[in-house]
Amino acid sequence: MKKTANITKRLLQLLVLFQLLLTAGQALAQNLTIKGRVLKDDGQPAQSASVLLKGTNTGTTTNQNGEFTLSAPSNGTLIISTVDFITQEVAVNGSATMSVTLVSATRSLGEVVVVGYGTQRKRDVTGSTITVKGETLNQIKAPNLFNQLQGRAAGVDIVNNSSQIGAGGEIRIRGNRSITGNNNPLIVVDGMAFGGSVNDINPENIATVDILKDASATAIFGSRGSNGVIIITTKHGRTGKPVTTYNGYVGISSAIDTWEQFNGQEYAKYKEDARQGQPAFLTNPNVTSPYALTAIEQTNLAAGVNTNWQDLLLTTGIRTGHDLNVAGGNDRTQYFFGFGYFRETGIIPDQALDRYTLNVNIDHKMTERIRIGFTSFNTMIYQKRLGTSAYGTAMRIGPLYKPYNDDGTLNFQPTIQQGVDNTTINPLTSIGNNDIIKANSRRYQFQHNFFAEVKILKDLKFKSTFGFGWSQTFNSNYTGPNNVFNSNANTAGANLSQSNAEGWQYTINNSLDYNRTFAGKHKVQVLALQEVQKNKFQSQQFNGQGVPADYIQDYNFQLVNTVTPQASGYSESGLIGYMGRVTYSFDDKYLLTTTVRTDGSSVLAKGNQWVTYPAVSLGWNMEKERFMEGLKFVNSLKLRAGLGISSNAGIGPYTTLGSLSSGFYNYGQGSTPLVNYVNGYTINTLPNPNLTWEKTRGFNIGLDFAVLNSRLSGSIEYYDTKTTDILLSKSLPRSNGANSILDNVGVTASKGIELTLSSVNIKSKSSGGFTWRTDFTGFFNREKIVSLQQGLQQDLGNGWFVGHPITTIYDVRKIGIWQTSEATQAAVYGAAPGDIKLEDVDKNNSIGASDRQIIGDFQPDFVAGMTQHFEYKNFDMNIVMFGRFGQTVVATYLSADGGANGYPFFLNSRVNIHKVDYWTPTNPTNAFPQPDASRDGLLYTSTLTYQDGSFIKIRTIDLGYNLPNRILEKAKIQGLRVYVSAQNPFILWSPLVKAGLGIDPEGNGTGNAVNSTAGGSPVQTRAITVNMGVPPTRQFIFGINLKF
Amino acid sequence: MKQKNKIFLILCAAVLFTATGCKKILEEQPRASIDPSYFKTPEGIQGGIAGIYSSFRGHWGTQIFTQLFSAGTDESLKGAAADVQHWFTYNNPLIKSTTNDYAGFWNGLFIDINTANGVLEYGANANMPAATKTQILAQAKFLRAFCYFYLVTTFGEVPLHTTFNTDPSTADSRAPLADVYAQIITDLTEAAADLPNTPAAGTGKPAYKATALYLLAKTYLWRAWSSAALPTDFTSAYTTARSVIDNKATYGLNLMPYFGDTFKEGNEYGPEVLMVIDHTKDLKFGQNSAPGSFASGPAENKSNFFWRPNYPTVNANYPSGGGASVCVRDIRNGRPFQRIRPNTKYIIDVAFANRATDSRFDGTFQTVFLSNSTQMAAVGSPGATTPRGQLINAVDTAIWFADRVVTPAERAAFKGIIFEPDHLPGATVKYTASYFPNLRKFNDSTRADLNDYSDRPFILFRFSDLYLIAAEAAFKGGATMQDAADMINVLRTRAALKLNQSPAEYAAAVIAQQITPAQITLDFLLDERSRELFAEDCRWWDLSRTKTLVARVQLHNSEGAAGVQPYNMLRPIPQQQIDLVTEGPAFPQNPGY
Repeated sequence: MKKTANITKRLLQLLVLFQLLLTAGQALAQNLTIKGRVLKDDGQPAQSASVLLKGTNTGTTTNQNGEFTLSAPSNGTLIISTVDFITQEVAVNGSATMSVTLVSATRSLGEVVVVGYGTQRKRDVTGSTITVKGETLNQIKAPNLFNQLQGRAAGVDIVNNSSQIGAGGEIRIRGNRSITGNNNPLIVVDGMAFGGSVNDINPENIATVDILKDASATAIFGSRGSNGVIIITTKHGRTGKPVTTYNGYVGISSAIDTWEQFNGQEYAKYKEDARQGQPAFLTNPNVTSPYALTAIEQTNLAAGVNTNWQDLLLTTGIRTGHDLNVAGGNDRTQYFFGFGYFRETGIIPDQALDRYTLNVNIDHKMTERIRIGFTSFNTMIYQKRLGTSAYGTAMRIGPLYKPYNDDGTLNFQPTIQQGVDNTTINPLTSIGNNDIIKANSRRYQFQHNFFAEVKILKDLKFKSTFGFGWSQTFNSNYTGPNNVFNSNANTAGANLSQSNAEGWQYTINNSLDYNRTFAGKHKVQVLALQEVQKNKFQSQQFNGQGVPADYIQDYNFQLVNTVTPQASGYSESGLIGYMGRVTYSFDDKYLLTTTVRTDGSSVLAKGNQWVTYPAVSLGWNMEKERFMEGLKFVNSLKLRAGLGISSNAGIGPYTTLGSLSSGFYNYGQGSTPLVNYVNGYTINTLPNPNLTWEKTRGFNIGLDFAVLNSRLSGSIEYYDTKTTDILLSKSLPRSNGANSILDNVGVTASKGIELTLSSVNIKSKSSGGFTWRTDFTGFFNREKIVSLQQGLQQDLGNGWFVGHPITTIYDVRKIGIWQTSEATQAAVYGAAPGDIKLEDVDKNNSIGASDRQIIGDFQPDFVAGMTQHFEYKNFDMNIVMFGRFGQTVVATYLSADGGANGYPFFLNSRVNIHKVDYWTPTNPTNAFPQPDASRDGLLYTSTLTYQDGSFIKIRTIDLGYNLPNRILEKAKIQGLRVYVSAQNPFILWSPLVKAGLGIDPEGNGTGNAVNSTAGGSPVQTRAITVNMGVPPTRQFIFGINLKF
Repeated sequence: MKQKNKIFLILCAAVLFTATGCKKILEEQPRASIDPSYFKTPEGIQGGIAGIYSSFRGHWGTQIFTQLFSAGTDESLKGAAADVQHWFTYNNPLIKSTTNDYAGFWNGLFIDINTANGVLEYGANANMPAATKTQILAQAKFLRAFCYFYLVTTFGEVPLHTTFNTDPSTADSRAPLADVYAQIITDLTEAAADLPNTPAAGTGKPAYKATALYLLAKTYLWRAWSSAALPTDFTSAYTTARSVIDNKATYGLNLMPYFGDTFKEGNEYGPEVLMVIDHTKDLKFGQNSAPGSFASGPAENKSNFFWRPNYPTVNANYPSGGGASVCVRDIRNGRPFQRIRPNTKYIIDVAFANRATDSRFDGTFQTVFLSNSTQMAAVGSPGATTPRGQLINAVDTAIWFADRVVTPAERAAFKGIIFEPDHLPGATVKYTASYFPNLRKFNDSTRADLNDYSDRPFILFRFSDLYLIAAEAAFKGGATMQDAADMINVLRTRAALKLNQSPAEYAAAVIAQQITPAQITLDFLLDERSRELFAEDCRWWDLSRTKTLVARVQLHNSEGAAGVQPYNMLRPIPQQQIDLVTEGPAFPQNPGY
């Protein structure tokens, strides 16, 4: 690890040096006769292009082959220009030959951006959007888009929420707006709202991703888009010869590290220290520990046994992907077929995810006026044993037990002598045993879109689209007896469960699109749209226990001894929207977009279902102005500003109705329904028919620029949003008789700055020369609660504080460990030396609820990503870095809260734990308290979990080689690139890792943190938690991209 | 087809399709959840009652509740694996900061009260047979009173709400003690008038008339001791208790002849039981996790775990190291949570000092564990070998928690391990926080897996308590001292019966067990309550009611003596409740916390 970090540092130093050398002085030289060739970016020769020696009137034009000859000084610069292409300056640099490829101006300036229900030229866009190309994303060979998007788009923050294969992560665009409502962005695929999960989308099929961030850009999507919109455009067919593409890779996956735990010697010492940490030890030095080393452990300690259970459980996984696409068509019909296969196996044996995707799209022009099209996405995912691992057991079991007996067989119950844990079964029984351990999941999802477009008039189009998405997830689980997951001794104790979830969604939209340019300069586009969407979801689960034989598994519930139905899910919701949008531009200089949308949603009560909101945005392409003429280095400069309101009814269906908790009861031992067996209900959530839309007013201002021959381009944005009528699930004092109510209370605000920069640091003068590009994104978001209900500054029970972010940590603060010399002082607080010393905020000589304070929040100060791209001859190389700074995480395994939120038996020596620097009379540290074998959970350990989660990670390094054309032409191959890639190779910087308190600070969970001894949950929602489980992985991959 | 027609058709189809869907698209109908308007239906009203009973499973028989309310009395000390140690040791600085320990109990009871209010409000107009309706409303009144009884006796003054609240409010305040007691007495009086004399056949022991009268007697007794006392309260307590005792046949009640049978498996609905919190093997209606899954359900009865010593760690050479376990963990011996242990100094020297003629020590405590070298070992199979010989499984006693100091000769002649009370001088191998006599009352040997919860109904109120209530009320002036002695002597006579006793021994024991009015003191009554009701989740309340908590803890409990304070006779209001009252006056904490 350290070694790799050093190498990278060295590498970066070299790069900087290289850049310096380039800017150094140029040598004087004599005139040369230069023979060159100018090509267009489609490979065709650029005829009659102008070639001019910079600073002179000397020049020539290219012939029909794009060739030219010109005499120029060896340190001179040539300016090459032609209509519709970007002017290029090329340094001669002593070379007598050169080859120049011109970039189409329409492609760079006229680049098309998807803005929702249509496209716009990039230069006409007035809202805040960001585009990421599919090939950029696919530099990262990850199972899904969210994994690839981390650090690649300013304002888009993605937090891991699991280290499981295929876990999507939690995505936020410009932070949280809602406190308890939905904060997830809308995903749109090829123009239709996508009902599936992010894992259903094969990243290889993505052509571009456009992300709409501000209210003026998202307004068109109405309430669904209030948290931002991710628009995915998939690869489509095109006119021309059929092209077949194969992209394939295979790689190995391994743990980035294992957790540091006590080894045999340390564990024995820890147990002894915990014995001495018992309060009773002070009066009775011979006091026994309930968790003393067992006889087996003592023998093994003497024999030098030191089992690393983690290593025994880990293996090497495989990640592989294969995609075969065919695209082609003529001027009437274009088609695309794509077949994809992805497989990843776990670093825990027997875990696997397989995904098969089939995408088809066809566009057909029936007549000059009618166009129809069909798009079909089909995904089948099989998961095996994902999330099923004995890792937790393995980390607790202790290093002084042997995994195997002397005869080589598995030591079935290694801790058999250990009183309280003597029934623990060897975690290695989780390996293999596929006949008795089954945890399968199968998901099938499709999305089918049909459209028909009619050109009613020359400038007026009517389009109707129908999209239908359907998904089904089937989980099938069986755990037979005699393994670590089930200690029962025979199949009567086998556990099984089956669940089935099914959902569908349809969307219909009808739109009229009018598009006309008046008098050459007034460009007007009007869109009117009507939309209906309906979603349905339902799920069931049945658990069972006891089967006649293991092979029955969950295949026949009639043979199961006991079947217990579980709570089912059902929801149906509908949305109706009407929208109008007008875009106007004058002379490509002044741009205006106005949008109005009205939405009706079924999740709100009658009378509050409808909402209307407007948005307006302006743009100014300044480089077209006369006053800019003197500023030749500016290639483009655009100022954008937008103001809009968006609404969110991001609550589940039926929440306005309130709910009852259900329970069950038996009166006596009979089983007569309604007499003995009775369903029971108690009040849970109160109804609130007055619930209304949550509204966000947002202002956005942005500047897009390209300077120095477009070698440096980018944009900077500032936004300021305010959300009112926030939907809050409000916890109520239970003495009033209900748990909570969902209500519109409070105001939140967020603002932030986002910066995107692309720089061509080095551009070779000739093709095949050295090129170095850097893309940088950086952003921060500051969110805070502006007000709660009337005059309330803080709502302790709900964890909301005016002036602070929504996700705040409110707890007592650890200021050290009570030292021996402070015994008297500690006793005042009911503590003793070795206990956690806390800040007594109210100075009342007692620690209690009034000593809680705001400790921090989960909002990072700054998030950044950087990609370095190098090209030389046929080689290319990418390095993608991602960093998050000033972020707090909750390392749950450094605490014991007596429940499952912490690490049960942390510092009580019953089980092995993460290796920490704990206090003993001879080790007066201030890091961790003294272990104490006499209690299940030490007090106030929640304060130990708040850690600095900042990091810089290398997400990927890849090196590619394009095989030369002369070799390929013989094989009739258009292109072949081979590459090697390292995914997540190492963490460059992380305080948590450096402190030895974790292996990955990025977090692998979200949700509630540990409970605090001082009252309540210090974190109410959305803590970023680091949990001690299966480690994160890194991959080394080899792949090819083939086109023929 | 002409192009125009095509266009027309497409347009029509698109618009038509959208329009037809529109009408119903904004309608809502939940199908997998129940909303509060369900309480207006007959099934909903009955469901409300079952919901409240079911919610009690979340308290009695669960881990934290049992420790919270068994801790800090004269009866118990903390076990080696206790979770809530501060209540055992009265570490008041820590108690102050952990007031949320009570949030589950507080929150649950108030949700139940509002649910009962909903049943009463909607039930009055429900369309159902009058007789059924009367029963349901009476149950609702009983349950509301039950919740308030536990709230007022645990926390003192509490908010009082008697109407169904669907209006969210974050303001609330505490009602005077007198008002809360008055409401409980009204509800119980009305419930007793309507509830049946005995529960319907085959329905176990939910509340019936005698249960309401029992709780009414106990409420009178509590109020009599409180600052809201009425002069007639002790008398009311006595007469109400007597009304059940004197009509025990009407209510199907009686004392079981042998004390040890009162908690025997299978007797949960016996004649001595006034009310249970029901449990069943059925996973759904018992809200149980699957057998063998380590008892993970929050509604499971785990009372069989908490008072159990860590017997599997007693090795053959104990107290020296090495050697096999003399008794491994299995279904028969149970899961050793060692959360709470009997305060053996008080148990052996005071409360159960008379073990010769009183069967209640043996009826309450299990002092021997039989040899068991493998799980459920066959009778007669060879067990572990101690320095004194090989134990025979299921025949030889492997562990004996003696109630006295044994002689070296006895020890040498005994193959197993003998533990002696740690407070007795001369003890060599002592009881510890891990090794102590096991509580017999909650044993459950019919479970499927050794780690399983108990499927036994949790016995909440017992008939014998009515004699103790009557005695206490009489002693405090509600009747004569002779009445008090008479009541106590009924229980003590029953306790004279032992297993394998000759008629002559029994006759002598009965005589020895009798007490005279002069012998009765408050301490005697409290000792008697220990003998009768040990570990039945009422001790802290008994000491709190009789204002003897500080004195008795200081006298008997070495762990709690230094810390216990008069304010500990009320438990702290959960911090969550205080934090969540954000409107109106702040919600006050109990003094001292």
